[in-house]
Amino acid sequence: MRQGRGQEMALAAAVAVAIAVFSLLPMLRLVRETVAPAGALSPAVIEAGLASRATWVATLNSLVVGIGGTVLAVSLGTVVALVVTLTDMRARAPFILCFVMPLMIAPQVTALSWLQLFGPASPFLKLIGLAPPLGSRNPLHSPGGIVLLLGIQYAPLVFLLVRAGLRRLPRELVEAARAAGAGRFTVLATVVLPLMTPSIMAAAALAFVSCVGNFGIPAFLGIPANYPVLPTLIYQRLAGGGPAVLGEAAFLSVLIGMIAMAGIVAQERMSRRRDYRSFASSLASEPYALGRWRPAVEAAMWALILAILVLPLTGLVLSSLVPGYGIPLSAATATLDNYRFVLVEHAASRRAFANSLGLSLTAAAFAVLAALPIAYLVAWGRQRWVRMINLSIELPYALPGVVLAIAALLLFLRPLPLTGLHIYNTVWIILYAYLARFLVLAVRPAVSGFHQIDRALEEAAQVAGAGLFSRLRSVVFPLVAPAAMAGGLLIFMTAFGELTVSALLWSSGAETIGVVMFSFEQGGDSKYAAAISAVTVAVTFALMLATNLAARRLPSGVLPWRD
Amino acid sequence: MKTILNGLAACGAALALALSAGAAHAGTLTLYTSQPEADATRTVEAFKAANPGVEVEIFRSGTSDLLTKLAAEFAAGAPQPDVLLIADAVTMELLKKDGRLLPYAEADVEGLAADSYDAARTYFGSKLITTGIAYNTAAGEKPQHWADLVKPQYKDGVVMPSPLYSGAAAYMMSGVALDPALGWDFYAGLKANEAITVRGNGAVLKAVAGGEKPYGILVDFMALNARAQGSPVEFVFPSEGVTAVTEPVAILSTARNVEDGKRFVDFILSDEGQKLARDMGYLPAKASAGRPDWLPEGVEVKLMPVDIGAVVERIEADKARFAELFGG
Amino acid sequence: MARLKLAGVTKTFSGFDAVRDVSLEVADGEFLAVLGPSGCGKTTLLRLVAGFEQPSAGEIAIGGTVVAGAGVSVPPEKRRVGIVFQNYALWPHMSVAQNVGYALKVAKVPREEARRRVAEALALVDLDGFADRYPASLSGGQRQRVALARCLVAAPSLVLFDEPLANLDVHLRAAMEAEFSAFHRRTGTTMIYITHDQAEAMALADRIAVMDGGRLVQVADPRTLYREPATEMVAAFIGQGMVLPATVLSGEERGRCRVAVLGQEATVRCRPGERARQGAAVCCRAADLGPVAPGEAGLEVAVRRAVYKGGATRVEVSPLADPSLALHVEGDDAGHSGRFEPGARLCLRIRSGWLIPGASA
Repeated sequence: MRQGRGQEMALAAAVAVAIAVFSLLPMLRLVRETVAPAGALSPAVIEAGLASRATWVATLNSLVVGIGGTVLAVSLGTVVALVVTLTDMRARAPFILCFVMPLMIAPQVTALSWLQLFGPASPFLKLIGLAPPLGSRNPLHSPGGIVLLLGIQYAPLVFLLVRAGLRRLPRELVEAARAAGAGRFTVLATVVLPLMTPSIMAAAALAFVSCVGNFGIPAFLGIPANYPVLPTLIYQRLAGGGPAVLGEAAFLSVLIGMIAMAGIVAQERMSRRRDYRSFASSLASEPYALGRWRPAVEAAMWALILAILVLPLTGLVLSSLVPGYGIPLSAATATLDNYRFVLVEHAASRRAFANSLGLSLTAAAFAVLAALPIAYLVAWGRQRWVRMINLSIELPYALPGVVLAIAALLLFLRPLPLTGLHIYNTVWIILYAYLARFLVLAVRPAVSGFHQIDRALEEAAQVAGAGLFSRLRSVVFPLVAPAAMAGGLLIFMTAFGELTVSALLWSSGAETIGVVMFSFEQGGDSKYAAAISAVTVAVTFALMLATNLAARRLPSGVLPWRD
Repeated sequence: MKTILNGLAACGAALALALSAGAAHAGTLTLYTSQPEADATRTVEAFKAANPGVEVEIFRSGTSDLLTKLAAEFAAGAPQPDVLLIADAVTMELLKKDGRLLPYAEADVEGLAADSYDAARTYFGSKLITTGIAYNTAAGEKPQHWADLVKPQYKDGVVMPSPLYSGAAAYMMSGVALDPALGWDFYAGLKANEAITVRGNGAVLKAVAGGEKPYGILVDFMALNARAQGSPVEFVFPSEGVTAVTEPVAILSTARNVEDGKRFVDFILSDEGQKLARDMGYLPAKASAGRPDWLPEGVEVKLMPVDIGAVVERIEADKARFAELFGG
Repeated sequence: MARLKLAGVTKTFSGFDAVRDVSLEVADGEFLAVLGPSGCGKTTLLRLVAGFEQPSAGEIAIGGTVVAGAGVSVPPEKRRVGIVFQNYALWPHMSVAQNVGYALKVAKVPREEARRRVAEALALVDLDGFADRYPASLSGGQRQRVALARCLVAAPSLVLFDEPLANLDVHLRAAMEAEFSAFHRRTGTTMIYITHDQAEAMALADRIAVMDGGRLVQVADPRTLYREPATEMVAAFIGQGMVLPATVLSGEERGRCRVAVLGQEATVRCRPGERARQGAAVCCRAADLGPVAPGEAGLEVAVRRAVYKGGATRVEVSPLADPSLALHVEGDDAGHSGRFEPGARLCLRIRSGWLIPGASA
């Protein structure tokens, strides 16, 4: 018995250290830089930050696009969730896969695709003869464009959360209302939506945090239009001033962090609110029959997919086939040279593919290994501080990526103490940041996997005499492994095309795909950016399809786009 | 548990290996350049073909981003590059002042114009890049002079590279500011005409060729190469003259691979390297290498006379003034 | 006029027939229980009547109007059928008064009148003063009564009960049964009551419809169901009936005939027109098996176990001739006496029984 306790404490200690290193340390270092730069407590950094006009402009803009993007995402996501979950629409699974895909595509790729679609140089518009006249600006280079793309990027997030809530809605509540004489829309307004309010609010909070912290979209759409938001301001400060301005960047990061925290806390409160406790049995709602409206509704939904997914990606691919700017695309001018350049000739791209692949795989593998013991403690542990773990793991993912990147920079600018290991300006600092940020993506499904296993399985092993570590190894982990691995896959897909963190942490030799794509676009080589993005999207889509095939062996709820 | 330990052990070993591999750089040359991606790749490929056995790592970004990265590396005490190939001499002068450049006395400067390389042999111009006016073939006006751009017909139609980002644009800014015929009024006039700035010449080409803006201030080779490819752009050298940057190459004093660095400089200055520059559409630094296709025989490019010393003195102040005028 | 009429109703779910060719008529004001084991299709039947499922074949008519089948499909909100759900289905975000008054709000009844009718309905179920409480703060029985009140306030012509007492404890169940019964007498509403508990069905219903495997097996009043089950399934399901293999020895005479059961001859009740046949089955209740008079021959059985039930003992026995059969008798101070240890021998006499009609009957 004593030995068992000892083992559990050792595990808990190891987990605590891992959490501290990957989650708490960066945040603390960041705060320290803001309130005590150069070691001594001083308000200098804060004062300088508050005094700068750029800070306020960027903060205001961040709030504007944050709120705008949230409103759009919530409206779109909720409506689609209602239609998909409550009606008898056909081909639901493929629709959900397509609708959730923008969430899996890196934001900068989304931005690039849409940019390619509009503007006088759009090969797509030229092809169909609708290109706007000379001198017209790309309408997406504006706050409106940013809000539109943020809404589209995060509508799937809202969709998933609201759909999960809807599926927990007991069908008797809807049926009782219908039996009482309420028509479809009355039921929606008086029963469904009021009961969904906590889910919708939680989704809105999450969408807000994501919009505020997004870097890729305002980088592509806002920088050319001189519309700074906090993440791009941090980026430009850092790009312009190097480590000398880390204090300034730290202050801005803490500012974003605070805005995001407000959103995260709101979301926690919302999802825990049990005013609308449901005590009926949780059978899923029976679909509303659409009757003769069905073809029209289905057509509208697929038209939506056409607009938000197919068209932009088509624009992207068309742009990747054009040899140069302004040249109209035709059978004669189409070329695969851009792909050849990006995949074969360009050294930095080749390096980036190798780096991103290596980083994503390593981060995924590490995270899966670490997630198992962490999830075990979160799901089945007896200590109370376990709940704290959960929040601190969530933090580096919930907070905007720039915050973590700046924190990592601060932590590792100097060589690590006692070892002299220097990971700044190497690929290892990016790996650290990925681990810290994406750990939660493996822990969450693992925890949910644990919740679906009967605890008695472990207890039976305990009774048979197995110590903690051998129980974990032989009984527990094999059962949860599929769920954790699905989480690892999510990490891989997210890290593969990721830009936000690596934009600030990359160095020569340590480029990632996102960084190379960004610098192509910044350098005016949109065709190369388009080619590299098209390849990333193809990889992501292939992975999504592959996991879909293996989905039967996974516990439910692990893959976000499957029920 | 065993798998966890195995995994950790493997990663630890990999870590040690990679970091130790990073330390030894034998046979690898690290180049930081602000050339466009495709040109940088071609240059390096040609160099490697001429010097088998040398691996080259290229790091490409705009001049100002490049310098920031470099500054960060200097601050951390671990500068990465061996050689630099960046837009303008002004930047090189600043680096030289900080003692960051290694003099290479044996470089073959035969045929180079005297003001295109450093007297102390720390940096050497590789080509001549001028900045002129590019315009979309469908544009309403056909500009001939810099002064045209501040005329009312060009309102809201001009795009230019930001001197805060592009070395060539920064050089032009100070050069124009010093020119009695144009001066700061030119930029004030551009601002009044609602000209916009973008990051880098690549973005200007994109805007003009793509049709978002009909007129742009752009470096010569970009516009002319695009036109040769079929893009709907035209390029003109304005009558008042143009500024030119020499895209110098230099070896860093902290270079780990000095041998190959010198070979790189030799390559750039060699006939082969100069011919390559000409083939890529640039004006080569050595007249003996010939002329690019777009410059017919007998036509001379009129250069604005620019005192580089004066430019070095005032460039930071000019940048700040520009930032105030145009924001950013 | 029949309040509810089902004609040949079938419902198929991807190849599986949940309800098969059910035809039923429920008179106005009748209390019909639909009884059967889980999976027999009774819940599906209720959902068909309510309108939440569409029949694959057949027709449903409420109050003379066809609501489903033959190209017609009236949605649930138009059928004016009240439902009391197993899990009450109270809306957690509305107060008791709002729950009860929902149908009135939907029908745009003026506020004053709505309030009056809600108060009346609450009084009817003994919940005055609970108007502003929320479902989360009510007990199971109170929630059930709110569900009932909600159902009543719209004065529907037909009320469906979906196993409403399944989640309540034994005492509460008894109280609610009385409640339903009283309610039925008071209002005279037609009620369809789904349950798997035969005691409940017997206590409450005017008629019981027994379902098995999607089919309607027998529809009759409780007494008839108890005394004259139509099939072995009904016999075994109701009142813990025992089904014994038998051979019919003589034809029916004045409602009785002679049969041979496990070597014993006995006289049992039967349908008119029965004839001698092999392979028949007889339904006996515990009271039908009595002790033999001393000296008489009887059915030899061995005791399996005896369960004390407070005042009586249920003795489970199996015949020596056929140990696979499970029978039981009631032992108390009157009737069977003696000790009932496992293995003890008893001798039984078949006093009475019911000959289950053959398949062709």
